[in-house]
Amino acid sequence: MSAVTSVGELAVLARAEWPVGDEDTFPQIAGFVMSNFSPLVAEVAERCLRAHYGTAPADPVRGATTGVVLASVRGDVTTADTVAESLRAGRRVPPLLFFQSNPNAVVGHVTARWGLAGPVVCTSPSGDPLADGLAVAALLIEDDAATEVLVIVADTADGADERDHAVAVLVAGTQSGEE
Amino acid sequence: MVSGLAVRCAAGSGPAALARACAGSPVFEAVTRFDASGRRTRVAATLPGTPVLVAELAAVIDEARDDAGLAADSDDPLLLAAHADRTNVATAVELARRTGLRPPSRTYTAACVASTSAVADAATMIATGRLDRVTVAAGYLVDEDTFALFDAGRTLARDGRVRPFSAGRQGMVLGDAMAAVVLESAGAATRRGAPALARLAGWGRTGDAYHVCQPRPDGSGLARAIDAALHRAGVAPGEVGYVNANGTGTVFSDCAESAALHRVFGADVARLPVSSTKSVHGHALEASGLLEFALTVLALRAGRLPVNAGFIEPDEACQLDLVLGEARATDTGYALTVNAAFGGANTALLVGAA
Repeated sequence: MSAVTSVGELAVLARAEWPVGDEDTFPQIAGFVMSNFSPLVAEVAERCLRAHYGTAPADPVRGATTGVVLASVRGDVTTADTVAESLRAGRRVPPLLFFQSNPNAVVGHVTARWGLAGPVVCTSPSGDPLADGLAVAALLIEDDAATEVLVIVADTADGADERDHAVAVLVAGTQSGEE
Repeated sequence: MVSGLAVRCAAGSGPAALARACAGSPVFEAVTRFDASGRRTRVAATLPGTPVLVAELAAVIDEARDDAGLAADSDDPLLLAAHADRTNVATAVELARRTGLRPPSRTYTAACVASTSAVADAATMIATGRLDRVTVAAGYLVDEDTFALFDAGRTLARDGRVRPFSAGRQGMVLGDAMAAVVLESAGAATRRGAPALARLAGWGRTGDAYHVCQPRPDGSGLARAIDAALHRAGVAPGEVGYVNANGTGTVFSDCAESAALHRVFGADVARLPVSSTKSVHGHALEASGLLEFALTVLALRAGRLPVNAGFIEPDEACQLDLVLGEARATDTGYALTVNAAFGGANTALLVGAA
């Protein structure tokens, strides 16, 4: 593996974003409904991991100690609002919303597909989401809980003037990221 | 080391909560906080009145820091675990204002391992010399939206009881909980003359890489987390004398957890006391791990192991030495508390007697 660049004590092995251009789209994923949040997370993770590995799964040895950090300031607000609106209207809550209401769920989708068996950490950062996600990744690596970490930052649009946005970076300790 | 702690749940506060867990007496009652009619079950373990999350969290943080002999306003760092929510940042800021602690950099939201992940990060910050002391807090209050979601997902026990590892178990019951612990380097605690309640001897965290919401059935992911915690502490499996299990009372999860314990402890699992205190205080989601960690510390200090309540009869797939009927006396030096969450996230915390 080769480091694209470094940030602090971490080597950046790959990076991806959503959107790339005004016409960018992402596919829905089976079992996730009504909200863009989980498909957005899955798509940016997919782009980042594909950029590094090509196709799933990841290298089994490295995947066994690759963790995932999902940092989202607001979480899946669409799912939360859909549940609240269903209750207010006296409608049945769609059962599929049960598991997708939890940010871990889409991480499970990503880790199962790519064979990433390191720690799973989800957060709501108080400050800069990417900087905080990388700080959590650095802790996991320094703790020897992971050798590499996929950091995903994702939030859906907050109002009509915004777009959904997400970034994913695959990082390693600087020592292991050097060839 | 753990130099202070506080818990508040429907089973009681601090040692009272442990006493209730040792009595194996659940605190599940009909929900009055919101209208639960039309749901498959209507019970939960709720605190009285109309508690407010930030106020309750501030109270347990102050109590834990008082327990540790620390001043209220110290600018110490705080790590927080709570449900993923658009109000997390505002809650973190308000909590810092009320407690005088440094505003949390983040709120840990990874469901049932949210607060144990925060504990592991706090321990790493201390072990690597970044910090001398960290306060970790977590809170969950049963709310109508989550209750309806869990009901829609058919995870709540229709019979209103949590029966971990038992044949006939039907699922979980939600419960309120607030918990806070003060973790501190041994050096810093010694310098200020603070006694240790217990030691966080080891911690481990892994992922299953298996499924969106089901655990890996062979328990190998959780077993790796337990192995990591034991390895870090340099403790052999045979030295562990109690496991506070995740034990949600759901069919698949309890089987996978039992498989994990068999993987790690082998034949010794037949003589390893196990209980899930969720059978008494319910499932407090993001706060559950910290509540159970605190109860494990209190259990070691009291020399009494809580009961695995709600048990009907053995499940062939969950053959464990469950603490049944009455609390069991112990003088063990080590206890584990394990948690597992959606997305295959696993954590194990190894508590050492002070």
